[in-house]
Amino acid sequence: MNLDARRNVILSFIVLVVGIYLIRLFYMQVIDDTWTLRAQEIAEKRKEIFPPRGVIFDRNGKKIVTNQTYYNLMMVEDSMVNLDTAAFAKLIGWTKKQVRQRFKEIVEGEGTYYNKITGKRTPNYQKIRAYPFLKELTLEEMSKIAPHLDNFKGFHEEATSARNYPYKSAANILGYLSEVYREEIEEDRFYKPGNNIGRAGIERFYEKELRGVKGIKYIVTSALNNAIESYADGKYDTTARQADPLKMGMDVELQTYGEKLMNKKKGCIVAIEPSSGEILSMVSAPSYDPNLLVGKRNISANYPKLANDPNLPLFPRPLQAEYPPGSIFKLVQSLIAMQEGVITANTGFPCDKSLVGCHNHPSARNIAEAIQYSCNPYYYMAVRRIIQQGVKKNNFADAEYGLNKWYKYIRSFGLGDIFDTDVSGQRPGLIPNPAFYDKWYGHHAWAFSTIRSISIGQGEVKLTPLQMANIVAIIANKGWYYTPHFVRSIGRKGSLPQFKKKRWTMINYQHFDPVIEGMRRVVNEAGGTGKMARLNDILVCGKTGTVQNPHGEDHSVFFAFAPMKKPKIAVAVFVENAGWGGTWAAPIASLIIEKYLKGKISDPDKEKRILEAQIAYQLSN
Amino acid sequence: MRKQESLTEHLDWPLFGALITMLLMGFATVYSVAYNEEAPSIFNFSEKYGRQLFWIVFSLFLGLLVFLIDSDIYRKFAIPIYLSTLVLLVIVLFMPAVHGAHAWLGVGSFGVQPAEFAKISTSLLLAKYISGLTVKQQTTGTVLTASSILLIPMILILLQPDAGTFVVFTSFLFVMYREGLTFDPILLNFVNAIPGVRYKETWVGSHFIPILFAVVFLSIITLLLDSVVFNLSLFGLDLALSGSSGVIFGLLLIYALSWLLLQRFSTRRERSRMMVVLTLGLLIGSALSFVVDKGFDMLRPHQKDRIELFLGLREDPNGDDYNRNRAMAAVGSGGFFGKGYREASVSSVRSNHVPESETDFIFCPFAEEWGFVGVVVLFLLYFFVLFRIIIIAERQRAAFNRIYAYCVAMILFYHFAINIGMNIGFAPVIGIPLPFFSYGGSSMMSFSVMLFILLKLDAQRKDVLR
Repeated sequence: MNLDARRNVILSFIVLVVGIYLIRLFYMQVIDDTWTLRAQEIAEKRKEIFPPRGVIFDRNGKKIVTNQTYYNLMMVEDSMVNLDTAAFAKLIGWTKKQVRQRFKEIVEGEGTYYNKITGKRTPNYQKIRAYPFLKELTLEEMSKIAPHLDNFKGFHEEATSARNYPYKSAANILGYLSEVYREEIEEDRFYKPGNNIGRAGIERFYEKELRGVKGIKYIVTSALNNAIESYADGKYDTTARQADPLKMGMDVELQTYGEKLMNKKKGCIVAIEPSSGEILSMVSAPSYDPNLLVGKRNISANYPKLANDPNLPLFPRPLQAEYPPGSIFKLVQSLIAMQEGVITANTGFPCDKSLVGCHNHPSARNIAEAIQYSCNPYYYMAVRRIIQQGVKKNNFADAEYGLNKWYKYIRSFGLGDIFDTDVSGQRPGLIPNPAFYDKWYGHHAWAFSTIRSISIGQGEVKLTPLQMANIVAIIANKGWYYTPHFVRSIGRKGSLPQFKKKRWTMINYQHFDPVIEGMRRVVNEAGGTGKMARLNDILVCGKTGTVQNPHGEDHSVFFAFAPMKKPKIAVAVFVENAGWGGTWAAPIASLIIEKYLKGKISDPDKEKRILEAQIAYQLSN
Repeated sequence: MRKQESLTEHLDWPLFGALITMLLMGFATVYSVAYNEEAPSIFNFSEKYGRQLFWIVFSLFLGLLVFLIDSDIYRKFAIPIYLSTLVLLVIVLFMPAVHGAHAWLGVGSFGVQPAEFAKISTSLLLAKYISGLTVKQQTTGTVLTASSILLIPMILILLQPDAGTFVVFTSFLFVMYREGLTFDPILLNFVNAIPGVRYKETWVGSHFIPILFAVVFLSIITLLLDSVVFNLSLFGLDLALSGSSGVIFGLLLIYALSWLLLQRFSTRRERSRMMVVLTLGLLIGSALSFVVDKGFDMLRPHQKDRIELFLGLREDPNGDDYNRNRAMAAVGSGGFFGKGYREASVSSVRSNHVPESETDFIFCPFAEEWGFVGVVVLFLLYFFVLFRIIIIAERQRAAFNRIYAYCVAMILFYHFAINIGMNIGFAPVIGIPLPFFSYGGSSMMSFSVMLFILLKLDAQRKDVLR
């Protein structure tokens, strides 16, 4: 037997093992990244640092949304040592039961996932991770707890920031933040459980612009989850960067003032700067303090109250209350009729009450007077000329032709659809077109007589206050508008591109003059319906309106812009259930105009009357 | 023959150089893994690297002592050395348990593990015994004696219990294989007892290493099948096969198939021979499978766990498989070039994700810090050492020296293969150190002394022909 050959058996065995091991190691270290990922999971923690959200300024550089530091009481179950639940409960002012309940809530709130290896549903909750036990404590609250935390291992404080609204107004514009949902986290990896996300208004629309850039710190952690050192000396770390501030076109003083005027009333005020489309103020009354919805605790305490308030403070009236526009529509009809050439500025119609009801006034001899008197029969006749132009032999086909034309004009005012803008929660209103009536009455089964009520802004037509305010802005501009919007600039980037595009209506410039003249008379001439809006040194042009309300007292409406030359503000005021437009809405509009243009009120009695009024408002308890 | 004139004359410099390189690399790794910012000095003996430095220096000092003593002493005193080790192995069983094992002799952190030194004394006695035999002389007695030399310390070590060192002792089987020591005499007793059979040798007896592999393979298959149940309906019999019964069923099938093939393709004379071999194989295989199955049930729970996890019967990254999973993550995350010295994020002692990363799992930080490139260097170094020892072994004139050298090579190889195997998921997690790398005095001293005895024997190889 040759034993020397066995040396080679042993050697080849060694070579075999070394070879196999090297192949395995090459696979593990170089090719397969499973273990690298596993190592990251084990030892490298990405600590994400969320910057405070961007602040928001109003048009005059006043800080309207800021951040305030709050504290979260964090807990790490693994670090707890013989927790004295009773003492801890006493420290935070809870009962033992509540503390245990909260533990359970945290664990269950994390949900479960399907573990492929064990084939079981496994909780996402990890004992070594920190979870907020109490959220958004104020410095005052935290300073009572913090000194005693040494006795409760496993609890620590962590600073966080939350929104603060120093003016306590514009809640309906700014929106609020709330905790992200699991689906949102899955959709956008920016968020972590417990983070806040813009839930409504500006906070939601400009979420990406406001949230900033989060910083990422890679740290090496030990098996006990203690941070040991920064990974690779912080080579891969990025710093958190707060978002650039937003500058709004809103005037916060005006907004606050508007909310004050609308106290104990329901309704809304929308004010737009005609030359830019910037919304100066958008009051939805009743309003509420946006600070009520800051943080989880506040939201869960206050949101149900707001939601259950019979006055519907959460209902965004300027955007979602779709009213038949009433008299303001007569302005638009005048413009279309003149543009179509079916009447001229000097066309007169008798006030024929057999056509449609009207109040007592002299017959209008021209458009300006028609507007001044808000003559219903005038518009019945004028709009009939638009709809029934006699182009087609068939009366029904003729109405279809006319309504199509009319529809195109109306659409060029930005009506019948929502604006492509940063105002969230708009409703489109309703502008009927032939297809709409075809569905109701059948094809060629309707004519002007069927749809006549649209001529005076009643019937099927529905507009939102925002759309109506924009009509006023268009008139003030004599034919064009910028999309109404809130935000003037994002950092230094300026506003969104769609806000910079000048949008022209199909109405020629010169047709606006008689309409504006009519509006001047409404306010400034004897017998005008809007004399309560008159101001001594500002020439206000306005139009009253009364929105018929089948459920009760009519809504009082007033539209105005001022000054007549070079208009700076267009405003629409709605006061629900306040009856005739001239009584309540007109003085409110004038106060808004004066406040904005002058900064002070010349007629304190007028202001006092408004401030003290309570209209159709249900006091809680 | 003249005696050595200087200590370094005839010293095998390549092996010595490789040893020093390994010691330096090992120390650097221990320093990295146990690094403490507050006590960065390598001479700080309250830190692990300080103590490791002490052990290295002390081991080199022991090496020097070895070189001062005539190598003849090992052959002459092999029996007393062996016996005194056995005494220590018995005494250690009465020592208080550390981490559940009665393995430590001495106090505190400066204790020693007699099992480490049992490797040397067993090597020496085995070398002495086998070198006194010739192949032709082999009888049942010689085989049993050689086996007993291994088995006695193995049993004592298993009582500690120290599964790792126990397994390492099976490396001596390779040495016996190399030296042609077989289990033939025992086997022949049985085989030749069958009337009409007369063999001078059997294939099984002379190749028990390959057979050992078959044994290991069968055992693993048995354990793997333990968790699987085959339901079989055969001739009206309902069989539920699992574990050993499955293996035995499989073996029976192979046996039957072979018998059919033999009936058809072989001569009558061959057939009877082959049938003997096959029948024996069937019986031994079945018995083995049965024993493994039952033996597994009798294992301690933690050993059972380890075996189950090793075989992939269970996987639990945060539970029982914690060590292996973390270790593999550390090794695998090293990448091609590694994370850099002292940048091990998973396996540093401070992060403590891989327990025992300075001792049994020292390969983790090494592989994490130096990546695949470092691993290749380490493997080349180890391969070079093993290769060099075999070269040294083969150039010895004295059988004692050669056998001892093979013992050293195989022990080192076993440690290398099992230690690294458990870092890459190829071996069960049995705590054995990586020679010259792992932190710890006993292993450092025993491996150094082991290697220095070899170097001394080699340096004096020409004296032996006196």
